[in-house]
Amino acid sequence: MGLAKYVIRRLLYMIPLILGISIVVFLVMYAAGDPIQIATAGNPSITEAQRQFLREYYGLNDPIPVQYVRWLDHFLHFDFGKSLYGGKPVNEIISIYFWETLKLQLVSILLAFAISIPIGVYSAVKQRSWFDYIFSGISIAGVSFPVFFLGIIFILVFSYQLGWLPSAGAHGAPQLWPVFGIQNPFLDELAHLAMPATVLTLAGLAYNTRLLRAGMLEVLRQDYIMAARASGIPERKILLKYALKNAIMPLITLLGMSIGFAIAGAPATETVFSWPGLGRAYVTAASRLDFPLIMGITMIITIMILVANLITDISYAAIDPRISID
Amino acid sequence: MDLLQVNDLKTYFFTEAGVVKAVDGITFNVEKGCTVGLVGESGSGKSVTAQSVLRIVPRPGKIIGGKIFFNGEDILSKKEDEMRSYRGKKISLIFQDPTSSLNPVFTIGSQLTEIVSQHKGVKKSDAAEEVIKALSLVRLPDPEEALNRYPHQFSGGMKQRICIARALLLNPELLFADEPTTNLDVTIQAQIINLLMELQKNIGLTLVMITHDMGIVTQMCKCVVVLYAGNVMEIGSIEQIFQMPHPYTEALLKAVPRLDQTRKLVSIPGNIPNLINPPSGCRFHPRCQYAIDRCKDEIPPLIDVGDGHMISCHRWRELNGG
Repeated sequence: MGLAKYVIRRLLYMIPLILGISIVVFLVMYAAGDPIQIATAGNPSITEAQRQFLREYYGLNDPIPVQYVRWLDHFLHFDFGKSLYGGKPVNEIISIYFWETLKLQLVSILLAFAISIPIGVYSAVKQRSWFDYIFSGISIAGVSFPVFFLGIIFILVFSYQLGWLPSAGAHGAPQLWPVFGIQNPFLDELAHLAMPATVLTLAGLAYNTRLLRAGMLEVLRQDYIMAARASGIPERKILLKYALKNAIMPLITLLGMSIGFAIAGAPATETVFSWPGLGRAYVTAASRLDFPLIMGITMIITIMILVANLITDISYAAIDPRISID
Repeated sequence: MDLLQVNDLKTYFFTEAGVVKAVDGITFNVEKGCTVGLVGESGSGKSVTAQSVLRIVPRPGKIIGGKIFFNGEDILSKKEDEMRSYRGKKISLIFQDPTSSLNPVFTIGSQLTEIVSQHKGVKKSDAAEEVIKALSLVRLPDPEEALNRYPHQFSGGMKQRICIARALLLNPELLFADEPTTNLDVTIQAQIINLLMELQKNIGLTLVMITHDMGIVTQMCKCVVVLYAGNVMEIGSIEQIFQMPHPYTEALLKAVPRLDQTRKLVSIPGNIPNLINPPSGCRFHPRCQYAIDRCKDEIPPLIDVGDGHMISCHRWRELNGG
């Protein structure tokens, strides 16, 4: 069966999934409360009639199925409506935040993946050595320290104490952040990325190295490794070619999953570093029941996760010949 | 002349539970061009002996004593790089389970040509030619086609042929076959045994057949080394070990079903001992029907009881009418 056919079939399977998820989120959202009540709670001068008018204006008084079908109709025309706050189109909000989140996440995920390979391999080869113990310790710390805690420590040290890095945002505005006295848009981006990306990398690194170390230990026990040794293949090649290609499979799964979930952002990290990303926007939207924005971000996340899963499955088949896509 | 001499080899595994004395003072020789059977139950140290000769004992195992001479050269004193040039080229090993001894994510061609280019430094196309030659030697159908295929696309028997081809790629002088038929169907077993015997004869290979199957031993081997719990119990020709066996060998032989005799199969009582704290004296004494107090206290030396028949037993002489 061809790749194209497989991809088309998988894409078709996504349709009922996306519809199902949108219905569930829609229902949960409406069960959660009344957005107009939340929006106007702080304003004592607003009358019930005005509230009623707002509900009517946003179509919140119609029966839920009617509202859903209306939302679906817009969704099918790639229109997520307007935010209840500020009236900006949801598409526009998402398109701004999406890239910031993607940038932060991709940098962290790929860094964590790349760094974990030498550490994971070496920890497995030198099992129970000081190197292994030290990185086991760092991994456990990386997993167990909450991201916001680490993030705040970073801000305290590198922004407030040393003043090396900006504590908030993705871009220097109105002025670029000077790196070694140089003001340059690229260096400015790097300076803003440095801390949130480091925090996220550390968190991901821990899982990755543990997973790869376990995989390598398992693979190095296999007969085909001993067979390669018995054939006079150098140890370096055995580790980095014969063993690694087998041991890296779980890491590919994790990589695929993290790229899918990446778009959900890292709400905690984005909040701590005031990163203008989808994660932070999602949390804000949820806290004030900004229905159109919640639905919009949910749909983007759903689609990204489904597509990432598909890519993961295809990459399996590319790496492991025993897995065929059909 | 002896191609391989193993003298008082000790290979221990330093595990968290304690030191496992998997091979504890094994001595035997392998004559050039001969097929020698290395026989014993699981855990007797057969595989570890082969791994020790190649110096590929997996961690936490370590060769801690003894000497191994290959063609008169002291293998254990060689540098790792030099030793690596022996592996696959002078001494080879085939494994019990052909499925797990081929790397699942590389093609047969890439796994086998790598070995040729590693040792000979030749071009890929030349290496591929040698691989095709080796695959034809083990009579794998369609060897050219096989290069582009993955291990899972072959049956167990075909995989074992590929493994044999891999071991013979560089015309080694010595081949260890570590229970090469245990994981195969009976009909395939016979094919592989016949193939090994034929190769041994045609290319003058020296073969060490590691097995617990006495049937295979009688079919293939001239000489047999019987191991038990990391010690040598007996070394002798097929005739010697069948006519006047060591008590352990005798028990092994009684556990083999035979068509020409109607007798009950006799299993050896008990289990192979824990090698962290092996039994004192003769390691077989707790399971030996002839054991006396002396067997418990004193380790019996391996002595020549005539015509190269070596026995490690206090009571063998008296039991065999000496």
